[in-house]
Amino acid sequence: MADTMEQSLPASPDSQTSPPLSQSLRIQRRVLGALLIREMLTRYGRHNIGFLWLFVEPMLYTLGVTALWTATKSVHGSDLPIVAFALTGYSSVLLWRNMPGRCIGALWSNLPLLYHRNIRVFDIYLARVLLEFGGATISFATLSVFFIAIGWLKPPENVLEVAGGWLLIAWFGGALAITLGALSHESELVDKLWHPFSYLLFPMSGAAFMVDALPKVAQDYVLYVPMVHGTEIVREGYFGMRAHAHYDLAYVIPFSLVLTLTGLLAVRWVSGRVVPE
Amino acid sequence: MNTFVSAQTRKPDGDDNDHPQPGLTMKDTVLDRLILRLKSLGPLFLITVVIPTVVAILYFGIFASDVYVSESRFVVRGSNKSSMSPLGLMLSGGGLSGASEEGNAVEEYLSSRLALKEADSDGLLTRAYTAPSIFWFDRFGAGGKRDREHFYDYFLNHVKVEDETTTQVLYLTVRAYGAKQAHDINERLLERSEALVNRMSDRARQDAVASAQAEVNQAQDRARGAARALADYRDREGVIDPEKEATVRLQMISKLQDELISVQTQLSQLTSYTPQASQIPYLRTQANKLQQEIDAQTAGIAGGRKSLSSASARYQELELDTEIAGKQLATALASLQDARTDAERKRAYVQRIADPSTPDYAMEPRRIGGIFATLLLGLIAWGVLSTLLIGIREHRD
Repeated sequence: MADTMEQSLPASPDSQTSPPLSQSLRIQRRVLGALLIREMLTRYGRHNIGFLWLFVEPMLYTLGVTALWTATKSVHGSDLPIVAFALTGYSSVLLWRNMPGRCIGALWSNLPLLYHRNIRVFDIYLARVLLEFGGATISFATLSVFFIAIGWLKPPENVLEVAGGWLLIAWFGGALAITLGALSHESELVDKLWHPFSYLLFPMSGAAFMVDALPKVAQDYVLYVPMVHGTEIVREGYFGMRAHAHYDLAYVIPFSLVLTLTGLLAVRWVSGRVVPE
Repeated sequence: MNTFVSAQTRKPDGDDNDHPQPGLTMKDTVLDRLILRLKSLGPLFLITVVIPTVVAILYFGIFASDVYVSESRFVVRGSNKSSMSPLGLMLSGGGLSGASEEGNAVEEYLSSRLALKEADSDGLLTRAYTAPSIFWFDRFGAGGKRDREHFYDYFLNHVKVEDETTTQVLYLTVRAYGAKQAHDINERLLERSEALVNRMSDRARQDAVASAQAEVNQAQDRARGAARALADYRDREGVIDPEKEATVRLQMISKLQDELISVQTQLSQLTSYTPQASQIPYLRTQANKLQQEIDAQTAGIAGGRKSLSSASARYQELELDTEIAGKQLATALASLQDARTDAERKRAYVQRIADPSTPDYAMEPRRIGGIFATLLLGLIAWGVLSTLLIGIREHRD
């Protein structure tokens, strides 16, 4: 705790002379907007459907998984409709898995941008996190509306709860992404380890099962995985009483909070050492 | 309480740990320096750390009412196999099944509005949770929300049922602001659960026996009806058993015929040897009488509208009816017996493992832990927000 305070202390006298916060915020928003557009253009280009790939890509993934699960009638330990189950589960996975995937190594490809005084390391990560969040959210919403329209899915019981669970997953995913992104700039090991780790985490993330269906012993352990809580909340919002969700906000929120602090400190540490090419 | 304040506010200082404050004047200067230091940390620190911690210290240190936790453990025994999902069954190894149907019902019941209503029938819960001795924040109805629905929410926050899937033991914990009250509420809820299980198992047994009983009743009615029809017939026709009566009559006829033959033999002897004998007219009338009697009796057995043979057809029909009805009754009675023994096995009951405990000290709230958790979370939040703010301030024209 002590070193966070050391870091913040020099800032406070500094703030008296610096421009007002609102102005800085406006600049940062402009920077983020520009970075978002740049990111979309460099990643998807202007050919065929262009930036639409942003959410068409996760949509295709989700559709594929939904089709696979429906075809094999996978056991997921509950009597919930399989399309809705696959949609909520796999969209959540995409949300927390793509953010770190995109943030790892993000700094290397954007190093020249750091010549601009107002483009900060944190902005680069934040832009990517926001982009992934937007993509996953649009794909989740579009698929939901599509399935509801063709009658494969009932509208969610509590839209606000779905949104809350979704934001919780996004918060955790974003904090994880920024932490891993910053650390990956210092060590390539992060990139190498993340891929196997994310694959191992997938079956434990609650995408393919309801916690309620597990035996008590397994429930206690699986609830240590933070993504499970968010997925359970999303499911409870979607299915209402039928889902019988297990989650503990008193665990996920402090967990995400600590992870956020870790991420922010890692970014500050990296910013101090980064050398623009 | 004072120690907490200094402990947490000293932290950001970091440099006055080494000299303890002996006098009041010294303390004043330390306090001044503290306030100065806090001011330099800015309003963010005040909002995220100082205010929440002070509130936590006031709440956990002074105001929060003691919470007593009463726990009981029980098993709901039933014959029914659990209805577990395939995945759950697979993961649990198949051998040990989860809670029985009755166990699930008890779990649902204990967190239902009905449980609250039944347990609060004499106002036990209302009294326990709205006592003026409880701090207003913990007390029910503090914010003016005194309706039933809010009481139900409050109830759910104070009563918890948990089940251990592998051992099927149910844990019922009740939180209240008095040890005795916690125990009483727990005991009450447990009794209600027992009543519920008894009701359910009675119902299951009744259902199983009821259909067999209905079958028996029907068979009994039918047997009774058949017997009555037979009795009525006997009354009306004046016969007990046509078969037996016919035998008796046939014997009588053969006796009469024997007599007739002997009379006729005597008559023919007399007419041949002594035609003037005075007995001849007498014997003739006797033979005639006998012949008449034989004709009458033969008509009673067969032919004729009121003959025994026509009565026998209807009689046999009725007798067959009674016989069939009797057999059906016997079968129905046997299946009722089967259903009864089957129902005995369907019996479910609550087996108490540990009676509701009477806590002898307040387990909650975890006062020191609560204060430290608030302080820690506040510091982390402050760290996050201040780092973010620094990040934002780095953008300038």
